[in-house]
Amino acid sequence: MAQPQFRLVSSCAPITLGVCLSLNFAIAASAAPAVPLQGDAKIIHALNRVAFGPRPGDVERVRQMGLGSWLEAQLNPATLDDSAVEAKVARLKSLQLPVDHLMLTYEADSNGALRMFLQAQQRSEREGAQDGATAMDAATTRRNARNRNALGRNTLNSNAITESDGDEKRTVREKLRLEKELALAARYNAANLKPQQILLLKRIEAKGVTPGTSVQAVGELVNDKIVRATESNRQLQEVLVDFWSNHFNLDVKKGLVRTMKIADERDVIRPHVLGKFRDLLGASAKSPAMLFYLDNFRSTREFTAPTTVRRPKAAARKRGGVNENYARELMELHTMGVDGGYTQKDVQEVARCLTGWSFNREDGRFQFRPFAHDNGEKTVLGQKIPTGGGQKDGERVLDILATHSATAKHIATKLCKRFIADEPPSAAVERAAQTFLKSDGDLREVVRSIVYGPEFFSSSAYRAKIKSPLEFAVSAVRVLGGQVEVPNPQQNFGRLRLVGDGSASTAQGGGRNNRPNVRKSLAQQIALMGQPLYAYQAPTGWPEDSREWVSSGALIARLNYTLALVGGEVAMVTVSPTELLQDVPAEDREAILNRLFHRLLGNDASAGTRATMLKQITPGTPTDAKKLTALTLGSPEFQRR
Amino acid sequence: MNTTRRMFLKSGAIALVSSGLAPASGPVWLRDTVYAAEPNRSSSAANGRKILICIFQRGAVDGMSMVVPHGDPNYYVHRSLAAGGIAIPRSGEGGVIDLDGTFGLHPALSSLKSIWDDGHLAAIHACGSPSPTRSHFDAQDYMESGAPGNKHVRDGWLSRAILACPEDTAKLKAQVRATALAAQRTSRAADKVAASINASPFRSVSLTTQLPRIMQGTAEALAIPDLRTFGVKDSAAASVVAGAMGGHRKVTSSGATKGFEALYDQAVGDVLHGAGKESFEAMKMIEGLKPGTYVPARGARYPRGKLGESLQQIAQLIKAGVGVEVAFAETGGWDTHAAQGSAQGSLARRLQEFGDAIKALYVDLGDRMADVTILTMSEFGRTVRQNGTGGTDHGHATCFFTIGDKVNGGKVLGEWPGLAPEQLYENRDLAVTTDFRDVFAEVAQKHLGVRDLQAVFPGYDTGSTKFRNVIKST
Repeated sequence: MAQPQFRLVSSCAPITLGVCLSLNFAIAASAAPAVPLQGDAKIIHALNRVAFGPRPGDVERVRQMGLGSWLEAQLNPATLDDSAVEAKVARLKSLQLPVDHLMLTYEADSNGALRMFLQAQQRSEREGAQDGATAMDAATTRRNARNRNALGRNTLNSNAITESDGDEKRTVREKLRLEKELALAARYNAANLKPQQILLLKRIEAKGVTPGTSVQAVGELVNDKIVRATESNRQLQEVLVDFWSNHFNLDVKKGLVRTMKIADERDVIRPHVLGKFRDLLGASAKSPAMLFYLDNFRSTREFTAPTTVRRPKAAARKRGGVNENYARELMELHTMGVDGGYTQKDVQEVARCLTGWSFNREDGRFQFRPFAHDNGEKTVLGQKIPTGGGQKDGERVLDILATHSATAKHIATKLCKRFIADEPPSAAVERAAQTFLKSDGDLREVVRSIVYGPEFFSSSAYRAKIKSPLEFAVSAVRVLGGQVEVPNPQQNFGRLRLVGDGSASTAQGGGRNNRPNVRKSLAQQIALMGQPLYAYQAPTGWPEDSREWVSSGALIARLNYTLALVGGEVAMVTVSPTELLQDVPAEDREAILNRLFHRLLGNDASAGTRATMLKQITPGTPTDAKKLTALTLGSPEFQRR
Repeated sequence: MNTTRRMFLKSGAIALVSSGLAPASGPVWLRDTVYAAEPNRSSSAANGRKILICIFQRGAVDGMSMVVPHGDPNYYVHRSLAAGGIAIPRSGEGGVIDLDGTFGLHPALSSLKSIWDDGHLAAIHACGSPSPTRSHFDAQDYMESGAPGNKHVRDGWLSRAILACPEDTAKLKAQVRATALAAQRTSRAADKVAASINASPFRSVSLTTQLPRIMQGTAEALAIPDLRTFGVKDSAAASVVAGAMGGHRKVTSSGATKGFEALYDQAVGDVLHGAGKESFEAMKMIEGLKPGTYVPARGARYPRGKLGESLQQIAQLIKAGVGVEVAFAETGGWDTHAAQGSAQGSLARRLQEFGDAIKALYVDLGDRMADVTILTMSEFGRTVRQNGTGGTDHGHATCFFTIGDKVNGGKVLGEWPGLAPEQLYENRDLAVTTDFRDVFAEVAQKHLGVRDLQAVFPGYDTGSTKFRNVIKST
């Protein structure tokens, strides 16, 4: 979209494909000269790009403080007070769990047999608490235990060892403990648990991990994102967290990514979005979720397994081996880009450098495994990496990649696509890439160079991007001055469900998620529009080319969302659309439109939209504020940012 | 069908005429629909358009329980007939439905037997992925991308297949590309536009909430979780109609809906205008079908549950002649790690629904099966031996079904690798003797008319020599 969309002039003429005239993807649009944005258009543009759209009063606020000061504050989020939203998301307890606990939360739900055992146990405990008969059983058990204690005391006494009362109690406790363990062992046995499952179970019980909470943890992660995007004062930070989380995409449907993405978002992405690229890259390379998602955790040098008595035949088999998956995506997606100039040989060499980069399944932390590392000499992009480097090989690779000119270009292009246009002007990309290289990959400086550039505040960038479903949903809540509630912990998010062996899948149609009369959450609405958050399967992440969001089914979902939102049918969101037109007389149709377009579209409706909307107002009837608001939010103008 | 016809005569043919264009130069899907509405033509056979319906059994189905190798003595060595065992007996109560002396259908799949007897059902046994992965995630990903072991293929094979077949698309694509190049746009954008210009919005349709990986890509595809609720649900004007609509909210062309339509209709020059037009056409189309009142033909009875609903709605779209070429449905609950049962039990219940749903679709489509192929798939199979909890763990090869008049049916196709310990894959699983791409490629080529298989299955040297003869050569 190179032409100024805010005019929305009919400019589809040269396509001569019969009926397909109507399709108008504007390829043949005349290239109107780009002019610098002025006045409030500049502010609205900045709020649409640097933030998730304006909230009521934002334009006036920014005008008052000056656009420059506002941008500067956004670039330095620490200077902005965000205690209100922090207090709100503090209720999402899973997001504060330490990594080892997050890992166990996943383990408790991931293993079919284990999960069944834990659930059965939970059930019996629940029933035990309610059931009088069981309570009587418990009383009997206690009585028996007392008798045995007496017996034990006698036995001990007969050993003629004089014990103090305290020691006796300890012995009794010890006996009780042993009995409990015996009973437990019998149950493990009955459930057919393997030794390693039993060990895991003991750790799960010791940590007090509640089975079934891993799915809720994902829901909390999604909710955290939505609440912050909607209400945080640190808007640019949230836009960038969204951008980088997508750049280093992970899919919560894949194994332990389910809970470990929480750690990734919190410890890898968020702290580094305005820091040095090398730090962000390094943190991601050591993120257990990433190591798992792209298989590097199992990438090892090739070695021959030692002979074992149990598997004499297996001895000859080669074990382990290099997995190139992460190495390739590291170069293709995370750093240099697909046309960055590396070869297949480079991918293989990078993979060798990264062998042994893994994580500890117990403590949930990065772990370098020297025995799995290929310590031979490697050559990456023409640079020798000498033998014997160990973990340093990988660090060296990250150094090379993070400072490569292809990386600067790739990152600059992607950021310019996000902030400026789907086909960003090369001057802007070039400037951002140069800033990247000169500032040693300082992401704050790179973003600064983009949002202060002339291409950013240009008519050709204005409303040039189609909003992603997240941007669309959140900007609608924001423009209405709405609030997102953080649900109580029992709330079932219904976004993921576990299949038989504990792997997760997104809820598909037919289940609760699809029942039309059930109020859907914002997250579910966003998923229906085609963006199930944190659940994009391929490592590419969602495309930055916003035209990819345009499709018929998704558009209907967007329209339904605006109706549900103004109708108060989106769970956990409060908006009051009726206030918008409260003081506008019902007979003054122009005034109604002026108010709607001023508040919701930044005074920027096309003549066609205005004429169409005018027909929606029936003179002589009370103003249908909800319908008019929904129509405005569903208009082509509001689909864009 | 009357509604459909009216609708399209109004918005299709007349629109075409009024814009001075004969239907022959309009979008192919619309043209077909206009023709299809003429009484003496079978709608799906209007131009010999073929339809492929894919059903994904997510969770890895135990292929050896679907089509039981009862003639292989090792089967009863690995799986027990005793109480708690998962073997299906050769005969007697709860025994297999014998097919050819070696293989038999699970008794819960009894409804498929008559299709087999018609010669319209083939099983491809020991079929699966060359990738050794036992991860549901990776294996489903591979089966949908059509590129096992390669994580760099971004789109799904159905999406590529549909772009690779009809010549109309190629022509249009060239035209659009020329225009696009003139305007210095990327060819990818041009492909996308070309694909959407030519296509019916229902050309590639999935009865799911999210578009599955298998259909993601350049070709436009529509995800519809349920026809009955597809559309703009105007809460202000709509009323909840219980009973006939099964409690679903009625889709109404209320003020808001018309308002939205008008807003997108006037937004000429915007990429959203096209999407809007398509959306509202699709919506009206579906509304006109009255999906809540659909009565299957020939007494076909779809089982309760999501799969039956999905297949019934696919049948309805096909019969309406709206231009479906590829349809997708999915079914879960196949990951039977514990207590899978034998002739009865949890797996038997899943199979009963599965077989009954396919049978209903087959009966309901009737003569139209001449142009339809149904293809079932699952990411991998399960261990040959049962585990300690009366179930089976992640294995390797499984069994696919193909159903259709043109299917080389009444046969278990492929090569049986045997179940002796040394014949097993990694000493535990049924070995793969048919690469799933050979089945997909054969269906894509012989049924959908795809010529360039390389474009659909990148990096794979498939070809007729590897085909299992799933589709009869004509």
